[in-house]
Amino acid sequence: MPSILKSKKSFIILVVLIILQLILISIQIPGGENVSLFEKTVFSVFSPLQHGFTSLFRGANRLWVNYFTLRDVTQDNLALKQENIFLREENTLLRDALMQFRTEEEIIKLLGKIHDNILPVRTIGYDQGNFIRSLTINRGKNDGLGKNMMVLDRYGNLVGRTIEPISSRQARIQLVTDIESGVSVISQERNVAGILSGDGRGGCQLKYILSTETGLRVGEKVLTSGMDGIYPPKIQVGEIVEIRETSGLFKNITVKTEYTLKDLDNLVVIRIKAEELF
Amino acid sequence: MRQIFHGVIGVLLAFSLHVMIAEISPSVVILINVFSLVLIYMAMEKGDVFGSILGMVLGLLQDSFSQGVFGVAGISKCLTGFLAGYVSQKLNVTPFIRKFIFISVLIIFELLVWSGLYIAIGAGSLNESRGLILVQPFFSSLIGCLVFPQVKKLIMKVSQRRI
Repeated sequence: MPSILKSKKSFIILVVLIILQLILISIQIPGGENVSLFEKTVFSVFSPLQHGFTSLFRGANRLWVNYFTLRDVTQDNLALKQENIFLREENTLLRDALMQFRTEEEIIKLLGKIHDNILPVRTIGYDQGNFIRSLTINRGKNDGLGKNMMVLDRYGNLVGRTIEPISSRQARIQLVTDIESGVSVISQERNVAGILSGDGRGGCQLKYILSTETGLRVGEKVLTSGMDGIYPPKIQVGEIVEIRETSGLFKNITVKTEYTLKDLDNLVVIRIKAEELF
Repeated sequence: MRQIFHGVIGVLLAFSLHVMIAEISPSVVILINVFSLVLIYMAMEKGDVFGSILGMVLGLLQDSFSQGVFGVAGISKCLTGFLAGYVSQKLNVTPFIRKFIFISVLIIFELLVWSGLYIAIGAGSLNESRGLILVQPFFSSLIGCLVFPQVKKLIMKVSQRRI
């Protein structure tokens, strides 16, 4: 018996490992959005490492650029870019806020609240299974981040929301292009409402638009409606690029996001909930 | 103890290479599966048991940084690591072409197990990363075949200097 076990040792180890992982998977199903403690732990342990490696590579890259090419110009440019991001986000949010009728006192209060809750963040890693689904940023619970906070790009376009796991210094972002994401949206011109979710190819699909609906056109902008309780209204999400009639109840509408992969390096998290904003 | 040390080195190497590649472009992360390359390389050197354990660790690590079911990549990488170690002990996969085919087959196998598990679990349809994932076996194998011999040469040089 022991000799049989010895010859089959590696197979037995493999089977044990597989069973362990199957148990791990079965615990999560149906788990919905809940992240297991084990996954949270692995994320918490390795995300600082990811942060460290990213900082190291970026640091080396910065060193090269700063000392061998542009030196001071790079520093100035970076500072201006940071300031620009801040101002753009503030401007976008304020523009929407001021559209509504408010007293001066209310507006001043709101200005302070928005200013204090814009947090510029940097991407430190992309989804290792699929880069259009999620990414990891360099800020976490210590910076006041929590679940379901809105994430925008440097131009104020919607990128996604914060999701679990969130560690003390890192957090995960679910992108709007994720097939499992859902954003309540309206079209800019005729206010046609629908749900936007990822199409699995880096774009989005506008769902639940009836075949009888004639108010949409290609090129029309898609904005958040504020109905989902996560995103405030009037945040730009994308543009309709294709409308296809189907034999079913709903149209097949493809939306291209306003942000591109290049814009995902520097992002902004709005640390207050949609209902607290406006 | 030595095996654990090599395992830790493998994890750190895969992780740092992944971060470096992601810095170039997120799309390249899909084109070159660094985690699988490090896994296959180390499993070929250390054997099937080492391969399956390292595969599980790297897979779970990949899962923890992905938006999906935790454990799916763990299983697929565990099987890949085991196969890499087991087959390389039985067959000579050192020549370039053989190595290229060997790595390609293993990465295709891993992708099949990964997507099969996703479908079996019903965790939604599998994202295709704009089709880039389909060319992952080719690019990963090519990079692996070009880089592995250089890494081996470097390790041998270092160990010779020590002697």
